[in-house]
Amino acid sequence: MEKAFSNFLSIGAGLGVTLQLLSGGIFIGIVVGSLLTILRCGNCSRVCTFLVDRIVSIVRGTPLLLQLALIYFSIPGILGIKLSTISAGIVAFGINSSAYVSEILRAGVESLPKGQFEAAQTLGIPRFYTWKDIIMPQVITSILPAIINEVIALLKETALIATIGGMDVMRSSQIIAAEQYEYFEPLCMAGAYYYFLVFSIERIGKKIENRRSYAKG
Amino acid sequence: MLRVSNIHKSFNGVKILDGITVDISKSEIFGLAGPSGSGKSTLLRCIQDLEKPDCGMIERNGKTCFMFQDFQLFPHMTVVENLLYAPNLTGEKNKNEQRANTILMDLGLESKKYAYPQELSGGQKQRVALARSLMINPDILLCDEPTSGLDVATTMDVVLLLKSVCETGVTMVIASHDLDFLTKISDRIVLLKNGKIVVDMNMSKYDDPINYLRKYY
Repeated sequence: MEKAFSNFLSIGAGLGVTLQLLSGGIFIGIVVGSLLTILRCGNCSRVCTFLVDRIVSIVRGTPLLLQLALIYFSIPGILGIKLSTISAGIVAFGINSSAYVSEILRAGVESLPKGQFEAAQTLGIPRFYTWKDIIMPQVITSILPAIINEVIALLKETALIATIGGMDVMRSSQIIAAEQYEYFEPLCMAGAYYYFLVFSIERIGKKIENRRSYAKG
Repeated sequence: MLRVSNIHKSFNGVKILDGITVDISKSEIFGLAGPSGSGKSTLLRCIQDLEKPDCGMIERNGKTCFMFQDFQLFPHMTVVENLLYAPNLTGEKNKNEQRANTILMDLGLESKKYAYPQELSGGQKQRVALARSLMINPDILLCDEPTSGLDVATTMDVVLLLKSVCETGVTMVIASHDLDFLTKISDRIVLLKNGKIVVDMNMSKYDDPINYLRKYY
C-alpha cells in the first residue's frame, strides 16, 4: 500500500509538466488560431487566405509526433537555437492546436447569419467593434463545446512529450513500470490522473457554457 | 430626399433590377410592391449600400437605416443593449439611455427592456428592430417586409407605428408583397415586376388602389 502511494505521488510529479504543456499549448493555439481565422475570414487578400488555408491543411495533415520531432530535433539545428523539451512541446502543441482552433472558429463565424454583419454595418458600427462585440461573443458561445473537446484532445496528446524525453505523467508512469517490472498499476494511475484532468475540464466547460447560454428561449 | 437613377443589378447573369429610377420626397412613405423575386429587397439593399449596383446612381440626402425582414437583433444582448450599443460608441451614454427609455415606452416595450430577443414574440422583435433603427436618428428608414410572419392585429400595430415614425419627419421605403398593408400605409406605391417598374401610383389619386395594383401584379 505504501509502495502504491509512493508510486502515485511519483507519477503525480509529472502533472506539472502535463499542465504546462496543456496551458501553453492551448494559449498559443487560441491566440494563433484566432489570428489565422481573422486572416481567413476578415476580407484579407486571396493570396493571404490561400496561404493560411495551406498552412492549416499541412498542420492538420501531418502527425503531431512528426511536428514535435521536427521542432525538437531539426529546428534548433537550422536556426541555431536550443529548445528545452517543455518549450519544444509547448510550441509543437500550440502550432498543432492553432490549426484545429482556427478550423473551429472558421466554422463558428460561417455559421452566423450574414445579416449580423449587415445589421452592424447599417447601424454604423466600425469593423473592429463588429468583430469584438457582435460576432466573437456569438461565435465563442457556439464553439465552446468544440473548444472544450480540443482542450481534452490536446491534454491526451501531451503524452507524446515522452518521445522527446519530457517527464510528464505518462513518462513518469512508464519509468516506474520499467523499474518495478509492474505495468498495470502505474499505467492505471496515469490513466486516473488524465481522467481526473479531463473530468475537471468537462465540468469547467459545462459551467462556462451554462453561464453563456443566453440564447435559450 | 432619395434619388435612384437607372439602377441595374444582376446575380450570376440573372437580371434582378433592370433600370430602376425613382425620386422619393422627404417624409414620404414609399411602398415597394411586387411578387417574390421582383427585386424589392435587392433595391432596398442597393439603397442601403449592402449591394453594389452594376450601374446607375443612388443619391441619399441623409442617414439611412435598414430594418431586416428577420430583424437581425443581436441575440447575446438584451433589448436595451441592442438599442444602446451603436449610439454609445460615439454619443453621450446618459442622453442615449434617456432616449432609449422614451422610445421603448412609446413602442410599449418598457417591460421587455432586459429581455433577450429569443424571449420576444415576432411583433415585439419587430418593434425592437424599429426602436434600434430609430436610436441612430435615421433620415431614411428602409423596411424589408416588415409584416412578414405577423398576424392581422400586429400588422395593424405596425401600420400605426410606422405612420407615427413618419410624422417625425423620417422618410420611409417599405418593401412588401402584402398589398393590403402597403395601401394602408403608403403615400405612394411602386409595383416592381421582373426588375422593372410597372406601376407608379400616388395613393390619393385612386379610389380602389388594391384592385388597380392587382391588375398588374
